[in-house]
Amino acid sequence: MHRPIVIIRLDGNGRVYRPGEVLSGEFRLSALPERPPKALEVSVLWYTEGKGDPDMAVHEFWRYRFSDQLSVDLRRPQRFSTQLPNSPLSYEGQIVKLRWCVRVRVFLADGKEVVGQKVFRLGGIPPAKCIGNGFAASQRTALLGVVDP
Amino acid sequence: MARVIRLYEKKRGHRRTGSARVGRLGELLFFAVLSLLGVVGLAAMFFWLVVPQWQVSHRFVPHTCVVLDTRVRKHPTEDLFRPEVKIEYQVDGKTYVQWTYDIATVRDDPSSYLPDQKEQAEAAARFVVDPEKPREYPCWYDPADPHLVVVCRGSKWWTWLAFSVPLSVLLIGAVGLVYTWVSWDKSAERKAAISSRLAPKRVLRANGESRPQFPYVPDGKEITNSPGTKLRFRLPMAASPGWPLFGLFLAAVLWNGIVGAAAVYAFTLFSQGRPDWRLNIGLIPFVIIGLALLGYFIRRLVMTTGVGPTLVEISDHPLVPGGNYRLFVSQSGRLKVQRFSVALVCEEEAVYRQGTNARSETREVFRQQLLCHEGFEVGSGVPFEAECTMQVPGGAMHSFRAANNQVRWKVLVAAEADGWPPVVRGFPVVVYPPSEHNILAYQCTDRL
Repeated sequence: MHRPIVIIRLDGNGRVYRPGEVLSGEFRLSALPERPPKALEVSVLWYTEGKGDPDMAVHEFWRYRFSDQLSVDLRRPQRFSTQLPNSPLSYEGQIVKLRWCVRVRVFLADGKEVVGQKVFRLGGIPPAKCIGNGFAASQRTALLGVVDP
Repeated sequence: MARVIRLYEKKRGHRRTGSARVGRLGELLFFAVLSLLGVVGLAAMFFWLVVPQWQVSHRFVPHTCVVLDTRVRKHPTEDLFRPEVKIEYQVDGKTYVQWTYDIATVRDDPSSYLPDQKEQAEAAARFVVDPEKPREYPCWYDPADPHLVVVCRGSKWWTWLAFSVPLSVLLIGAVGLVYTWVSWDKSAERKAAISSRLAPKRVLRANGESRPQFPYVPDGKEITNSPGTKLRFRLPMAASPGWPLFGLFLAAVLWNGIVGAAAVYAFTLFSQGRPDWRLNIGLIPFVIIGLALLGYFIRRLVMTTGVGPTLVEISDHPLVPGGNYRLFVSQSGRLKVQRFSVALVCEEEAVYRQGTNARSETREVFRQQLLCHEGFEVGSGVPFEAECTMQVPGGAMHSFRAANNQVRWKVLVAAEADGWPPVVRGFPVVVYPPSEHNILAYQCTDRL
């Protein structure tokens, strides 16, 4: 028996989100498990990757418990939305990488878990390697194509 | 067939093959056993130390006795002692003669023996033996069994200190048990959400420093609490040399103090004509280490004070990407400077654990030279002063601080002077996330 896959879709998929902007989207399961799931968690969080031990913080968290009486057809899209914070912004550093994601965790009746995750970018910070060392500020700005006011 | 529970696990980097559930169960069992040990230990100590004392204080009958003899008794096998007093007393017309002291002695408890023989002798000597004119002393006997009698009530101070051992075991076990129970079968996200709910300040203020509107960005209050003379704020130095210098001074004084005392003793023996050559020879490496420590301290002191203080002032703080700032730098001291440079630097720091050791790695990801002067002299009382402008790059990452990862910005002043080793001094600054206008601009860049 195949385990279901969590499918997450964000409104305006692929774009960069601005701090304070509302992030909304939906998730669904590719198929219904044999027995109804026990619980489901949706989190909007950031985590770090890279050389150091990982850090993580949850910005928004929803948990739903299902009983025999209360069950939801998770094959149908379930919507969520939250207002994003001002920081920390997504960052692709050399030894520190900071990523934002929507993570959906489904607790199946057999004790196993199915996890789906969709990474998105908060803020438009370019990767650290794009910032050239030793350039004057004006030269670097031109290099990045950023227009100063 | 796949195994339901994998007991033995292998570690491949961050990936583990073992069963998390079995791991948690083991953790729960460990803390449960620890709690149980604590409870049993506490109960045993209560019945062993507290109950007998309580019985003496509340159930024993006050009476009087005559002291016939005293002694200090040695433990049969160990170098421990206890005081004993031979008394005579009458209960219901019947005369009893007993060797006694406190309830621990009456019960022949091992805790009645203590290492200090002199102290035990003094305790026994408090009871005066005078066959000519016997003195009466208070005593307390058990009405159910008048043979049980004591001349000393109250508990020893260490009785209560001993309770700290099972109490700490119980505390560690109970806290671990509660934590394991609370986090049982909970996802990492749920645990993070619970901990942030339990400590709302942590969510808002991240590391206890950041402003609520900018989580995980240090607020840099310590940077703006000192006004400048030329510009708005004077930046504090990243690591003040004062405390390490003081620590070095303390170490040098302590080491040389101890070695000096030993050296004085050796010299006294030598001057008395009975030198101890083993002591003299043994002292030599310690004296060498002491002198080296003193020399290193003096070198560091001269280096710190000789180069003179560096002052950095800034026109505004916190910084924002794309923002322009004025910087004032002042270098004091009597120096013949070969090269003096100021740079804005961004570095990433990652902390990771290898076994039980915590290691950190720092990587510089941005450096912007702001100022560079070569070949000049700084006179006494006439510091070198310079002003420059600084622009934080538009697409820069803001300052970020979490438990294991950091992105930090600083103004770095480097000086190379004749006769001195190169000096590098860092002055931290905080860069806030970019303004809304800049973010829109980056989005445009991103699409290009």
